[in-house]
Amino acid sequence: MAYYITEDCIGCTSCAKLCPTGAAQGEKKKHHQIVQEHCIECGTCGRICPKDAVEDPFGSRVKGEKKKFWKKPEFNLKTCSACGICVDACPVGCIIYGKASKKDKTAYPELISNDGCISCGFCVYECPVDAVTLVPPQDVAEEKNVA
Amino acid sequence: MMRKGYMGKILMVNLTTGDIHEETLPDTVYRKYLGGMGLGAHILYNRIPKGADPLGPDNILGFLPGLLTGTGSLFTGRWMVVGKSPLTGGWGDANCGGTFSPEIKHCGYDGIFVSGISPKPVYLYVDDYTKELRDASEVWGMDAVETEEYLEKHSKKSGKKPKVVCIGPSGENISLISGISTDKGRMAARSGLGAVMGSKKLKAIVLSGQKRIRPHNHDEMKRISKICNAWVRFQPPFVTGPMTAFVGALLRIMPTVLTQDGMLYKILLKKWGTVSMNQMSPEMGDAPIKNWKGSSKDWGIRKSYSSNPDVFKKCETVKFHCYSCPLGCGGICTMEGKYSHTHKPEYETVLSLGGFCMNDDVESIFYLNELLNRAGMDTISAGHAVAFAIECYEEGIITKNDTDGLELTWGNSKAIIALIEKMVKREGFGHVLADGVKQAVLRIGKGSEAFAIHAGGQEPAMHDSRNDPGFALHYSVEPTPGRHTLGSHLYYEMFQLWKVVKDIPKIPPMYLKGSKYKNNEKQAAIGAANSRFMTLVNSTGACMFGAFIGAKRFRLFDWMNAATGWELGPNQYMDLAGDIHTLKQAFNVKHGIEPKDCKISERALGRPVQNQGANKGRSIDIEEMMAHYWEEFGWDSITGKPTRETLEKLTAQA
Repeated sequence: MAYYITEDCIGCTSCAKLCPTGAAQGEKKKHHQIVQEHCIECGTCGRICPKDAVEDPFGSRVKGEKKKFWKKPEFNLKTCSACGICVDACPVGCIIYGKASKKDKTAYPELISNDGCISCGFCVYECPVDAVTLVPPQDVAEEKNVA
Repeated sequence: MMRKGYMGKILMVNLTTGDIHEETLPDTVYRKYLGGMGLGAHILYNRIPKGADPLGPDNILGFLPGLLTGTGSLFTGRWMVVGKSPLTGGWGDANCGGTFSPEIKHCGYDGIFVSGISPKPVYLYVDDYTKELRDASEVWGMDAVETEEYLEKHSKKSGKKPKVVCIGPSGENISLISGISTDKGRMAARSGLGAVMGSKKLKAIVLSGQKRIRPHNHDEMKRISKICNAWVRFQPPFVTGPMTAFVGALLRIMPTVLTQDGMLYKILLKKWGTVSMNQMSPEMGDAPIKNWKGSSKDWGIRKSYSSNPDVFKKCETVKFHCYSCPLGCGGICTMEGKYSHTHKPEYETVLSLGGFCMNDDVESIFYLNELLNRAGMDTISAGHAVAFAIECYEEGIITKNDTDGLELTWGNSKAIIALIEKMVKREGFGHVLADGVKQAVLRIGKGSEAFAIHAGGQEPAMHDSRNDPGFALHYSVEPTPGRHTLGSHLYYEMFQLWKVVKDIPKIPPMYLKGSKYKNNEKQAAIGAANSRFMTLVNSTGACMFGAFIGAKRFRLFDWMNAATGWELGPNQYMDLAGDIHTLKQAFNVKHGIEPKDCKISERALGRPVQNQGANKGRSIDIEEMMAHYWEEFGWDSITGKPTRETLEKLTAQA
């Protein structure tokens, strides 16, 4: 199971630049491909594609979106137990333990790089207690609404 | 695409030839051996030739995550290292937490097995595109923390940080009490497997994988995890650190015992970590004092106050959670002017370098904890070696001429520090002790064996077998003897297994303390259930502290079914575990171990009985208990070796 790049690809290299495992490969202005063995189904190639040229493992086209509108994880610390599964699950290493809380010295996960986050949602999917949700980035969400 | 919780492949590395290849394992192997320790037992039993030198090329060192690691279950981020132990000559394993375990699966493997001996120091690097042995001459000689920092920095490509396990100078020097380190101070310390890694000239393993781990039923995994998490989060305000000593004293004085619910220990562990037991254990008689010669009278509340739990809590800056752990018993400590980042010493370390050597200088314990973590040496065995040397010195068996001028008296923290520094470097008298007490006796002689407390070559831990006959049993009968993490009467009470597993002994809500010493057959049945359950825990990558909260809250059997898609009942899993346990014992027999020789030293059995303290008058009828325990698994009740019928049954099922 892997994502697939259709003939609509224009070889802009956006997917190859963002793919966290290097599975999306190809030369500039040439049709890109995804090496199935290395695809972890994060869907980044589809989200970044300006031509909606990528199909998900079920054969549906993924709709591209400007990166600044991509959703980011938000952590509900009332449920989170700082087990670190999201830290481990993040394929781009964008989630780390933050500073220790004053109350019990527990360090909870936090997103360290808005720009680095690829909005794959692995943190949400893997969290065993559903303490993570993906939300639109606040400042650009307002911008999007206005637009 | 596999949705079974496991990856279906192992990686085999031959350091002599440099060959690295993958092997695909059939589902039947997982169905029978699960993963982790079970899978390790299967591979090692079949592939290490009879009589192989533990430090030679034929020994195989395996690094294994658990069946449940990365599947969405909680408390399942531990990894096992398995091999033939140079310390005991038989089955060896060590268990460790941290963040390394899921990385093995992210690289696509359920185990990495290393054989052969490299002609020069190397480290193994694995990512999604590369599997190679790299020159380790730059890091050879560095301590474990420096090595990890160096390899992290030099192996990082982008995004995720690579995960590293490595040995320190102690493993490089092939000290038989050395372990394998990860996360800058967490250690798979026991069985001397660091020496095996050192003998292979394998300095480290660096992993950086991106493969995903997929359970069979993701939603069900989450449902069970949420139940577990709710129990772990329940944390009422609790007493202060020094007050734990009075809880221990109360447990000592009371003639009856209420069956203990592990939630109490969970609350203590969440607040302080394992150091919560620093004062409570000696008071209740759970901690051996003064090389097993002393008692709670020698290490009373005033003495143990120096290492009361609040001392450690005060310098803890942030809690340390192993992967998938909602509890976080570990911690990172900062001490102004001394350490900016040191792992909080564990209970075992504090007691083995503290009360066990009559050392009440807590600063020395912090120093030694960091020193031993960096060196990659087991703190439990190191403490035993030091206490053994002190007793030899006090009894006049050795003198200042032997100890390089060190005045080895009880509680002399300066001499203890100097001695351990020598052990790490294998210098002078340090060399005599650097391979544990059994080897030290061979080097010293002169009747010193009376002071060497060990089981089959391995030093036991800081849990007194006279206080809990379960410890005496597990120290003596396990294929890897001298271990405290495989069972005890107290653990059995907390596991509450009888609530989900049929036909195993139930513990009444209240019982007389003395009753534990009378019914050897029942104790053996309890021990067998513990061994089976802990085999499951170690095969799934689970944490014993998680299991402490009870089988209905920590639903290991349900997690296994949801992760793999199997539909097995708890008793079926316990039967599988029994087979794995027999396989480990068969491994020992294959390699010439006589199970009855693994019995723990007499002093730890209350022979002679103590005349004061919490364990006054207690002695353990271990021989009868061992015979009953062996029968539970279909092993010969006199020799402890699996009978022909048991082995035939085992191979018939394969």
